[in-house]
Amino acid sequence: MRAPSPRSVLERVTTDPDQPLRQRGYTSPLRDERLAAWLGAPLGILFLICFVTGVYSHLHQNPVSWLPVPARPAGLFRITQGVHVAAGIASAPLLLAKLWVVWPRFVSLPPFRRAADVVERIGVLALVAGGIYMVFSGVANIAQWYPWRFSFTASHYWVAWITMGAVLAHLGAKWAAARRALRRPSRRPPLDDDRAVGAAGLSRRGFLGTIAAASGLLTLTTVGQTLPGFRRLAILAPRDPADRPINRSARNAGVIQAATSPAYRLTVAGNVERPLTLTLADLQGLATGAATLPIACVEGWSYSAPWTGVRVRDLLRMAGAPDGASVRVESLEENSPYRTSLLNRHQAGDKDTLLATTLDGKPLSLDHGYPVRLIGPGRPGVNQTKWVTRLVVE
Amino acid sequence: MTADRNRGWLFWGSAAAGWALILWGVRGALRHSVDTRPGELARFLIGGALIHDLLVAPVALLAGLAVARVVRPHWRAAVQAAAVISACVALVAYPLVRGYGRAANNPTSLPHNYGWNLALVVSAVWVVTLAVAAVARARPR
Repeated sequence: MRAPSPRSVLERVTTDPDQPLRQRGYTSPLRDERLAAWLGAPLGILFLICFVTGVYSHLHQNPVSWLPVPARPAGLFRITQGVHVAAGIASAPLLLAKLWVVWPRFVSLPPFRRAADVVERIGVLALVAGGIYMVFSGVANIAQWYPWRFSFTASHYWVAWITMGAVLAHLGAKWAAARRALRRPSRRPPLDDDRAVGAAGLSRRGFLGTIAAASGLLTLTTVGQTLPGFRRLAILAPRDPADRPINRSARNAGVIQAATSPAYRLTVAGNVERPLTLTLADLQGLATGAATLPIACVEGWSYSAPWTGVRVRDLLRMAGAPDGASVRVESLEENSPYRTSLLNRHQAGDKDTLLATTLDGKPLSLDHGYPVRLIGPGRPGVNQTKWVTRLVVE
Repeated sequence: MTADRNRGWLFWGSAAAGWALILWGVRGALRHSVDTRPGELARFLIGGALIHDLLVAPVALLAGLAVARVVRPHWRAAVQAAAVISACVALVAYPLVRGYGRAANNPTSLPHNYGWNLALVVSAVWVVTLAVAAVARARPR
């Protein structure tokens, strides 16, 4: 057998950008516009869901005064962030499948024929790079794996805009083709070589079912980290809600000494008539609030639990804070981006926003924020500041 | 038939709107450079696409070729399905299995034996798909 010439190998491996996806060396009958569209549509919807819920989470963590997030419903953030992470996980198989179907376009020769091709291909590079980055960094973050030095939240947020812009440009470029592909009656007569190849491997429907099964299986084995009914199935989830999980232990936060010291005080300061300085015993005496509220981590796990403690509203009233004030909550923890959080006017005035002293009817543990931690309705876990020592009224 | 040569207002309009969002994202990443480290972030973005296109995709293509050559026609669809599902689950579970995020002094982080659990899930996938194929084979036509 003669060795194939470099020219014939190149011919086999590369593709013509104006020909169908299935061409030359790429013989799978699965490669066509119809399957690309069938994969692209749900992938686009999942990305959009991730984007909207992600921007909502960003508004919690980077508050803007003209758009204060609501405190109610209390479980709203739990739902939006649970959906964000579940949709992101479910999109992984779809993204990989979609890239597999359209891969022959990556090796197009010539890469461009018209000005529009240049615009489209640079957009597709942004789409592929952004899509892979968003799913990879999200999956890594929920496992708390950080093989990079940049901030996860900041880069995940800004690359989301890049990715969604690329999705929008791609939608415009493929709208007509996708509509045509999705509308085409599915019962076209099979081609001769479809029979030969298709009879042996997965059909288009089988392939879509396989990808749906992969997404479904990933969802089934992780979503129990937030959906109580699925907890026992969540064997690939990074947290078990039954453990009452935490992300930062008292030891790792370096607060054990300050939190257990008899010198511990909570102060209420800032824009108030009567600044307060309270001991733990004072706080326990004031602890008349009780609420069942979720801890909902941005990483997608959550659990609802009964808490008791001091109503922030009562402390503000005692200190003579103005109505509708927002409050900065400060922790004993130093050197953490989550050392402080903001209670906007809706959250600070809510009857269930507590400086909690008990969880599940037991005194708060050090890891859960002893002596007092913030717990408020509708807030992400990173904003439920632990080891609270100061409220600054703004 | 596939490439639309007729690039009308929809293409250029959505390209303009899409690129406005892309540039907004780029501008944000650059303005928050202390947090985003744009140089390293750009390497991750381009690197991710290149690792997929030059490594992951060709490996998947070769694996597909190998399955088509080696596996008998009757079992081929089942093997393809099981392999695809297993690979997807393994990729997502990979950081858990490696335990990169297991924090000292925090017993609630990564509480499961993820290697074992992944093996369990993957075994179940293969058993179910091969069983379905076997039943289909045994059924008289």
